[in-house]
Amino acid sequence: MIETPGYLPTEALFPIVVDAMFTKNFLLVMFLGLCSYVGLTTSSETSKGMSMAVTFVMTMSAILTWPIFYYLLKPNKLMFLQTICFILVIASFVQLVEFIIHRYSPALYRSLGIYLPLISTNCAVLGVVLLNVKEDFTYGASIVYAFGAGLGYSWVMLATAAIREKLIMRGVDRFSGFIGAFFAAMMMALIVVSYFGVVKL
Amino acid sequence: MAEKSFVREVVRGIIKDNPVFVLVLGLCPTLAVTTSFANGLGMSFAFAFVLLGSNFFVSLIRKIIPSGVRIPIFLLIICTFVTMVDMLLEAYLPPMYEALGIFVPLIVVNCIVIGRAEAYANRNSVIFSIADAIGISIGYLLVLLLIGSIRELFGTGKIQFVMLMVKGGVPGFYPIGEVSIPIAPATVMITPAGAFFTIATLMLLIKIIGDRKRMMQLKKEGVEL
Amino acid sequence: MIPETMQLLPPAVIVLGGIGFAMGAMLVWAAKQFYVETNPLVDALLELMPGANCGACGFAGCAECAEHIVAGDVAPDVCTSCDAETFEMIGELLGMEIAAKEPQYPVVLCQGGVNCKDRYDYIGAQTCKAAILLAGTKKACAYGCIGLGDCVRACQFDAIEIAENGLPKIKKYNCKGCGSCVQACPQQVLTLAKEHGPVYVVCSSHDKGKYVKEVCEFGCIGCGICKKNCPEGAIKLDKALAVIDQERCTRCGTCVEVCPRNAIVKL
Repeated sequence: MIETPGYLPTEALFPIVVDAMFTKNFLLVMFLGLCSYVGLTTSSETSKGMSMAVTFVMTMSAILTWPIFYYLLKPNKLMFLQTICFILVIASFVQLVEFIIHRYSPALYRSLGIYLPLISTNCAVLGVVLLNVKEDFTYGASIVYAFGAGLGYSWVMLATAAIREKLIMRGVDRFSGFIGAFFAAMMMALIVVSYFGVVKL
Repeated sequence: MAEKSFVREVVRGIIKDNPVFVLVLGLCPTLAVTTSFANGLGMSFAFAFVLLGSNFFVSLIRKIIPSGVRIPIFLLIICTFVTMVDMLLEAYLPPMYEALGIFVPLIVVNCIVIGRAEAYANRNSVIFSIADAIGISIGYLLVLLLIGSIRELFGTGKIQFVMLMVKGGVPGFYPIGEVSIPIAPATVMITPAGAFFTIATLMLLIKIIGDRKRMMQLKKEGVEL
Repeated sequence: MIPETMQLLPPAVIVLGGIGFAMGAMLVWAAKQFYVETNPLVDALLELMPGANCGACGFAGCAECAEHIVAGDVAPDVCTSCDAETFEMIGELLGMEIAAKEPQYPVVLCQGGVNCKDRYDYIGAQTCKAAILLAGTKKACAYGCIGLGDCVRACQFDAIEIAENGLPKIKKYNCKGCGSCVQACPQQVLTLAKEHGPVYVVCSSHDKGKYVKEVCEFGCIGCGICKKNCPEGAIKLDKALAVIDQERCTRCGTCVEVCPRNAIVKL
């Protein structure tokens, strides 16, 4: 008898999404996916492309990896293989998507195809998958969680890109590059943390 | 090109190729686990284990890895060591395992480990790969301890120094000293915002010092500025 | 070995091996199925090129430029960011002789900056293009450099900065002569010139002499003294602005000395 996490009422999905997007935001609170964050938020074009790609990959990874964990690994007591299996699946899937996009839509490939290899080793994507397992979500909940995480990643990327573009325009030279990215991230982390009352300052 | 030596490669990993401040890689665990000195220390030990193992193995089999599939092979090798250290921590150092959470399995996609495997261990001999691993690990350790100490000091008013020891047959990170300063702690430093702030300020300081050095060197060379 | 471990070994090998094999097979199939033709020469050339995507060559990026070079549409020396060593390697790769072009640097045809009066205090988006939108430029001279740094932002090599006198200053050791700053300037006061090249009238103002005298310390007033003194007759007056014909100029420097406003400069 294959055991999977029990039934989750639909109302419980809303807190999951809010968690993924705000209180446990992947970039600002969980610190996942920072390397791509500081590199790509210099312009809103790249941020847009990366956000879309990440949301897509996160959702698809959740869809693919949940059955593998609950139907293949857990019944055979092979939970220790989860990291390597997830990585294999994510990396292969991303490579497949890159092939398809490169062949059928050169325009889409130029705008977001180059980010795909970056995402296969992105800690945010692997983090989503590992957290799904840790939190013991049902299949639907894990997909919703992954999608919410992607949305959370996207809004932070776009907001930071907006801030950094303005910083550059103001000619504040010291704050170009990574330093500006981190100060912008700090401002947003303060907003998220204090608004949602995660920690009392 | 300067002659390579074991010691020189180690030192290079600490300063010239410092993983966080120069290569700007592996930021996720750096910011996430440096809420205290102890966590930083634990993470850097786990990281060092994985890096040493992966560099050693990758450079051992570098001649027979086909180029097209090298990244998946690196991932496989790194993943083995990561799973090992994960299980070791869970078994022998449960409090540290709890504290580090998912960041131990995430070492497998840590840009530093994959980066060094690709850029260094894949092209250099076993001895130098080990030297590189040692250097980068020391560099990473120093960075984590620095940020962890700052955040813990200003976030809780004191730094709790710990070290990996075996006391009464039980291995763990036991306290070996304490430094405290008489200020009201700013809890924000423990939060993510504090993490970003600390690393931004440190990078800013390094940039200012680096710029000044570069300007002085250019002036010495007589380049018109 | 512990019996439990041995028990786990076969399923572990089967599951991991199975997933790995399945993924590998899928990727092999996909690689053939979705194969896209690329010319390996283009890839090799792309490796050698700087990859800055600065746009100096006129193409949208290094990738496009590489394709056109391999197709034979353009000569490789259209890439101004390559140095002599890179050209040698590209030449070897493509089997042709390439000589590096003489380096060109941007020149600012304006001496205003802090020397030119402001018409109003501008508090808005600090870019030159935005400043022009508000009732013309903030400077009293409608043709001059505004100094808010659109050129600085356009430069990918950190080779230009706004100096204390409010004018752009070129850092020659970084400049690759790509011309991005020239294109970015909305007032078109930047132009490319060879290192020891021409003599330039460092002013772009077509305003009448009396007006220029009031607003700018160094602006050209169109007095014509340079024109009278030029031994080659290479200077013309174009609407109260002196213009030097570079083809006839012999770099004698007479005009530089006689200009009452110090508006002509030999580079």
